Amino acid sequence: METQLKKYGQLVISLSGVVAVWWLVSATGLVNPNLFPAPPQVLTAAVELYQDGVLVSDLKISLTRAAVGFTIGASLGVLVGLLTARVFAFKVALEPFLTLLRPIPAIALVPIAIVWFGIGEGSKYFVIAYTVFLAVWLNTHAGASGVAGTYIRAARSLGASRFREFFEVVVPAAAPHIVVGLRLGAALAFLSLVAAELSGASSGIGFRLQDARQFIQTDRMFVGLIQLGILGALLDAVFVIIGRRLVHWESA
Amino acid sequence: MMSAVLKLHEETHTMPGTDVGRIDIENASVVFNAPGGRKIEALAPTSLVIEPGSFISLIGPSGCGKSTLLNAVGGFVPITSGTIRLDGEPVTGINPDVGVVFQQYALFPWFTALGNVLFALKRFPISKEERRDRAYQALKEVGLEGRENTFPGQLSGGMRQRVALARTFVTSPKVLLMDEPFGALDAQTRVVMHEILLRIWEARKSTVIFVTHDVDEALILSDKAHIMSAGPGRIIETMDITDARPRLAHQMTENFLVNRNHIIGLLRQPGMGDH
Repeated sequence: METQLKKYGQLVISLSGVVAVWWLVSATGLVNPNLFPAPPQVLTAAVELYQDGVLVSDLKISLTRAAVGFTIGASLGVLVGLLTARVFAFKVALEPFLTLLRPIPAIALVPIAIVWFGIGEGSKYFVIAYTVFLAVWLNTHAGASGVAGTYIRAARSLGASRFREFFEVVVPAAAPHIVVGLRLGAALAFLSLVAAELSGASSGIGFRLQDARQFIQTDRMFVGLIQLGILGALLDAVFVIIGRRLVHWESA
Repeated sequence: MMSAVLKLHEETHTMPGTDVGRIDIENASVVFNAPGGRKIEALAPTSLVIEPGSFISLIGPSGCGKSTLLNAVGGFVPITSGTIRLDGEPVTGINPDVGVVFQQYALFPWFTALGNVLFALKRFPISKEERRDRAYQALKEVGLEGRENTFPGQLSGGMRQRVALARTFVTSPKVLLMDEPFGALDAQTRVVMHEILLRIWEARKSTVIFVTHDVDEALILSDKAHIMSAGPGRIIETMDITDARPRLAHQMTENFLVNRNHIIGLLRQPGMGDH
C-alpha cells in the first residue's frame, strides 16, 4: 500500500515537473508559440474540442476501432499460436510464413488495406488486427513451444488425455507468455490505429491530428498526443492488473 | 469399470504377499545418439528382477545410468535392446500404473495442492465427492491437512514434495519411480520425508524404485541396493539390506556401517571417478 502511494507520488511529481518546465520555457518567449504551444493554449484547445463534441466522439471511435481490431487479432493470435506450437502440421505450414510477415510494418499495409476494404472501418480493423495478431502469435507460440518437459511427462504419467494435457497443462504453462503478448498487442493496437487513421479516415484521434496539421494547429495536435499517451498508459496498467490476476502463480 | 479397477488396486495392496508390481528387466540397454553420429551407451545390457512390493535403490555416481534405467522402466526412454516387463506386460510407453515423483517436483503451479492431487484422479470415472474425499485423504496422509487450497509457490520445498508424493500415490500405482526426489531438501526435512515415504509404502505396498547418490538414504530406505558404475552404465553389485525398520540415521547398527563402508569403497574404486 505504501509503495503504491510512493508510485503515485512519483508520478505526480514527475508530471508536474515536466509541465512546469514546459510552461517556463514557453513563458520566456524563446520558442515560437505557434510551433510549441504553452500549457494554457493546449488546455484551451482541449476545451474547444470538447465543446465541439469531437473530443469525446473521436475517443469513442478510436477506442472502438482499437478494441475491435485487438479482439480479432488477439483471439486469432492465441489460437494460431497454440496450434503452431503444439500441432506439427500447423507449425510446418505457418511458422515460416508468419516469421516472414513479422518485419512488415503496419503502416506499409495501410494502402493495400484501403484497396481491399475501402476507407471505411474495415481497413482500420484489418491493419490493427494484423499488427496485434503477429505480436500475440509470436509470444503464444514461444510460450506454448517452451512448456517444460517435466510438466508434459508428469501430465502423461498421471494419465491425462491429450485433450486435458492441452487445456490443463500447455495453456496455463504458456499463459504468462500469452499475457505478455496481449500487453504488447494492446500497445501495438494504438500504434497501428494512428497509422490507419492518419490516412483515409474522417474521424478518430489520428484523423484529428492530421486535420490539425492542415491548419498548423499545434495546440490541437498536442491534445491528440496527450490523449494517446494517457490512453496507452491506462490500457497498459489495466493489462498489468489483469495479467497479475490471471497468472497469479508467476509472482508468488 | 475403471472405478472398480481403482478399488481393486487398493484391496490388493492391503493384502500381504500380493503379486502386483513385479518388474522383469532382461538384457535391457539404452543407447543414445550423440551429436556427430557418435553413440553413447547410457545403460549396458542389464538384467534385474524387482519383486512386487519391494523397495529398491539404484545408487551410483552421475552418468552411471541410474536415471536412465528408471526412465526406461517408466517408459520415458525407449530401450535399444532387451525387454522390460511390468507384471508380464512389456513396457512400451508412459503408463499411468507407474507413478513418478520427479526431482524438480513438477507440480503444476497454476493448481492448488488439492488441484494437483485431483489432476491425478480425473481419469477415473468416480463421483466428484469421492474424488475430493480421496484427494483430501491423500494430503492428510502426507501431513498437509489445512493446506489443500495453497498454491505450490507458497509452499516450502519439503511441502511441495509432499504434494507431489500425494499426487502420485493417490491412484495407488503398481510401481513408484523416484528420481532423487529429496536431493534438493535439507537434512532435517529429508528425514521427515523418509518417514512419510516409508509409511505410505508400507500402507500401499507399491513397488518402489528409488534413485539416489546418497548411500545413507539408500541404506535407510530400501530392501535392496543396486550399486551402479559409469562408462557404460551398469549394475556392479547388488546388496540385500536386512536391517529391521525403522532404521535411524542417528542409531546406526554395525551392519549398517559395514554396508555403508562397503558401498562407499565400491564407489571410490579407480575408474568410478566423476563426482
